[in-house]
Amino acid sequence: MAIDRFLRIVSLRLRSLFRRNDVEQELDEELHYHVDQQTAENMRRGMPADTARADALRAMGGMGGIELRKEQVRDTRGTRWIEELAGDARFALRSLRRARGFATAVVLTLALGIGANTAMFTLLRGTVLRPLPNRHGEQLVYLRQSAPGVQHANVLFSVPEIADYRASAKTLTAMAEYSSVLPFTLVGDDGAPVRIATAVVSGNYFHVIGLGSVLGRVMSVHDDGPAAAPVAVLSYAFWMDHFGGDPHVVGHTVRANDQVATIVGVLEPAPQYPERTDVYVNTVTSPHHLSATMVTERQHRMSEVFARLAPNATVEQARSELDRIASNMFRDHPEAYEKAAHYELSLSTLRDAENERASLMFWLLMGAAAFVLLIACANVANLTLMRGVGREREMLVRAALGASNGRLRRLLAVENLVLALAGGALGLLVALAGLRLLVVFAAQFSPRADEIRVDGVVLAVGLVTSAVAAIALSFVPRIGGDHTLVMPLAPAGRRTTIGRGRQRVQRSLVVAQVALSMVLLTGAGLLVRTLAKLDAVETGVRADHVLTMDLPLQGDLPREVMKQPQNLARYEAVRDRVAALPGVDVAAVGMAAPLRPSMLDMDVKAENRVIPPNRPTPHGAVKTVDPNYFVAAGISLLGGRGFEATDRRGTARVVVLSQSFAKQLFGDEDPIGRRVAFSGQMLKFTPFTDEWRTVVGLVGDTRDRGLDRDPTPTLYEPFAQEVIVNGTLLVRTTADPAVLQPMIARAIHEVAPHQLIEHVATIEQIRDETVAPRRLNAMFISSFGALALVIAMVGIAGVLAFSVSTRTAEIGIRMSLGADAPRVRRMVLGEGGVLLAVGVVIGLAGALFATRLLHSLLFGITPHDPATLGAVAFVLAAVGVAACWVPAERAASVDPAVALRAE
Amino acid sequence: MSKPADLVQGTLDLLILKMLALEPLNGWAIGQRLKQLSSEVLQVSDGSLYPALHKLEQEGWVTAEWRQSENNRRAKFYSLTRAGRKQLQIEAGNWDRLASAITALVRLQEV
Repeated sequence: MAIDRFLRIVSLRLRSLFRRNDVEQELDEELHYHVDQQTAENMRRGMPADTARADALRAMGGMGGIELRKEQVRDTRGTRWIEELAGDARFALRSLRRARGFATAVVLTLALGIGANTAMFTLLRGTVLRPLPNRHGEQLVYLRQSAPGVQHANVLFSVPEIADYRASAKTLTAMAEYSSVLPFTLVGDDGAPVRIATAVVSGNYFHVIGLGSVLGRVMSVHDDGPAAAPVAVLSYAFWMDHFGGDPHVVGHTVRANDQVATIVGVLEPAPQYPERTDVYVNTVTSPHHLSATMVTERQHRMSEVFARLAPNATVEQARSELDRIASNMFRDHPEAYEKAAHYELSLSTLRDAENERASLMFWLLMGAAAFVLLIACANVANLTLMRGVGREREMLVRAALGASNGRLRRLLAVENLVLALAGGALGLLVALAGLRLLVVFAAQFSPRADEIRVDGVVLAVGLVTSAVAAIALSFVPRIGGDHTLVMPLAPAGRRTTIGRGRQRVQRSLVVAQVALSMVLLTGAGLLVRTLAKLDAVETGVRADHVLTMDLPLQGDLPREVMKQPQNLARYEAVRDRVAALPGVDVAAVGMAAPLRPSMLDMDVKAENRVIPPNRPTPHGAVKTVDPNYFVAAGISLLGGRGFEATDRRGTARVVVLSQSFAKQLFGDEDPIGRRVAFSGQMLKFTPFTDEWRTVVGLVGDTRDRGLDRDPTPTLYEPFAQEVIVNGTLLVRTTADPAVLQPMIARAIHEVAPHQLIEHVATIEQIRDETVAPRRLNAMFISSFGALALVIAMVGIAGVLAFSVSTRTAEIGIRMSLGADAPRVRRMVLGEGGVLLAVGVVIGLAGALFATRLLHSLLFGITPHDPATLGAVAFVLAAVGVAACWVPAERAASVDPAVALRAE
Repeated sequence: MSKPADLVQGTLDLLILKMLALEPLNGWAIGQRLKQLSSEVLQVSDGSLYPALHKLEQEGWVTAEWRQSENNRRAKFYSLTRAGRKQLQIEAGNWDRLASAITALVRLQEV
């Protein structure tokens, strides 16, 4: 369309809308001019004055002709519907005010449906759907090296490995390193140490990852190497929380692991992957990262790798190129890549990597919410259908007074729009109210939870959902019934029954609601059963009233580890002090809390045993524990002895094995008295030695990697005999541990004033940590299921109640012919029962299909768990029958005399 | 032909556009001019003229302005826009095709 014509049309439309009076007046003038001219013309031809005028008017279309023409002209403007909209809306509000119960039911149902959807969409959009905030985030890829053969999902990369990839990869332009394996303690101006999540990054990290600073600068390649000055960049959240957003923070120094580093800038807010990071430092700040083995040893793996795709390179090309480089590398350095460990390289877009855990979960929730909306819409459709029957007479009268079919339909559409928008607005409020909860929930699965907010897109989607619901509802009164709104032959009286077609639609809607509820409830049931199965898992640790807390070494770890005697003395003093507190039963110290993974795992060899070449080297977690540890943690001793106070430095080296590790090392032979030693290439990067150690005891397995994982093969050493890399206190109390906690902290600080106390948790809480995300997820899906159930039950009861009310006369006749109350009740219950049964059967089929998606979220049960399916079907049927009882009872209490007289 | 011919559907637009292509006119004058030029064969009902005119205006084919008419009264004069001139060509072309097709059919020799 030519632009000038378009502009002309727009200006005309706007004029019609906003200068309506002028336009109308001009039209009037134009038509009267015509009539006057025609009258004059007629008189010129010899007609008398009054006849001439009458004839001119007749030519316009007779009586009221001018008004008729005006209407026709107005129709050409294409703006009438807007002019009439306000009137329609007023009309809709008026008619809804007369049907308050109906309006409330519809608005609430829609609010729940739209609210659930908006909330889930907000979640999905904030995390999975939104592009990364990083500059050109679509080019970012994340590399990961894993060793599935020894159950290592992420073994990180060493400096020589990164150098190899950097040298040969043509599909990647830049690679950056990020290393967060070393613990850092930050000492602020007040002298109080805090543990911070620190990452040692290469100078190009910020450039590659595409993030800038909000204050000061980020690092650059000039910050690389041993000659650079130590610098630190704060994360936005850390700057806010720890420095209160101080605008003058740049230039201040912090002491990180005894290295003084200058704060040069604050990073812009962005999701942090793979871990939350408080402070980024350059390599020189971490002496370990500059050490000789770190730089030259292929197996000294400490870094994550991020990279950018070269222009025109696709993810697939990069993946296949890196695969090729990796397999060459594995072949050229067999000593660094044990065959049985099955080293692997994987490459994914950073966005996929960040969304990995959230994606399935959030899409499932979105699906569940969509189901709730469908059920809600089906319910509202039924309500509308029922109301439509009552309004047929009204529509008939309106049609008789000249309203066209399209006009009536528009009236209904506006009414529905008013309902849906009210529901949508209320739903949006529901979603907004739940936003904080959502963010907390999302944080369990996604590093991007902070980005969740209700923005324009979310609002737009809420609006569109409402509008689509309204439009769909406007067609409901027609479907299945006659194809005009107005029945050509309506009886003079009130029509109270509905045609078979509509009845079928009503019933199908109820069946659909029941079926959809069945699917949702089955999903919820499976997740809840999974939780129950997890709760029943034997952790190997049996202890209540046991409080654990980390008392980490502070400062540069490699150097601190060398101070074993002082550290041991301090930890033992702390332990003994705490043990002497009233209310404390046992106190023990170890390297890590029970059910928490150890910082260390090692290859271990058994004396006089040969490993078959196709089996991986025995590999297990290493934990150092003191003599009280097994008792305090409730880990059962299965053979031999535990540790004694005499197992110290200078005495014979001893170990205790967990059952599964003993089996890995010695098969079915008795391990007590046999000897084991650490082995493997990694050993030389640790302060541990390869001396032979005698197995003196056998203990039960614990599940340190999570309740849904296999038991963790573990080798225990005496805390006093080995180097100390970390300290964890276990306190078994006779009283409530929470009450004793402040006293314990005071006691610790009396012995070691600056000791950090971290991760305070009872063993029950640790156990619960691995289940918490599942619990939240199950809670969400269950509440959607409950919502669906309630809506569907209200739906089925409503439809039956309606059916009963329209059949009062029929029931009256039946009763006067001898049907008694129980028989009538059975009739109505039977009617509902059929709907329920069909719904449950269809739902069952749907559930069998849909729950396959849940597979990876289940534990201990299959997606087709018969017990769950049976229980859900039973609950649905029972609640359904209860819902049908109310209308059935009403039917049974019909007084035939009254019913028949009313006709 | 004793009675004025009923207008073929849609031809009113074409006729109005053609009249206005000759000179800007007011509504009444368009009706008069049509009658004259077609030697009274085509007679447009006064009523149907105005909805058609306004539709053409809303489509952007014609534009209107208020001017003094010959008898010194204010009247709404319509004239063709550039887009309207193009539209006239298109519709005239359509009409020619339709007319010649119908003429050809009507003149078929009956066996």
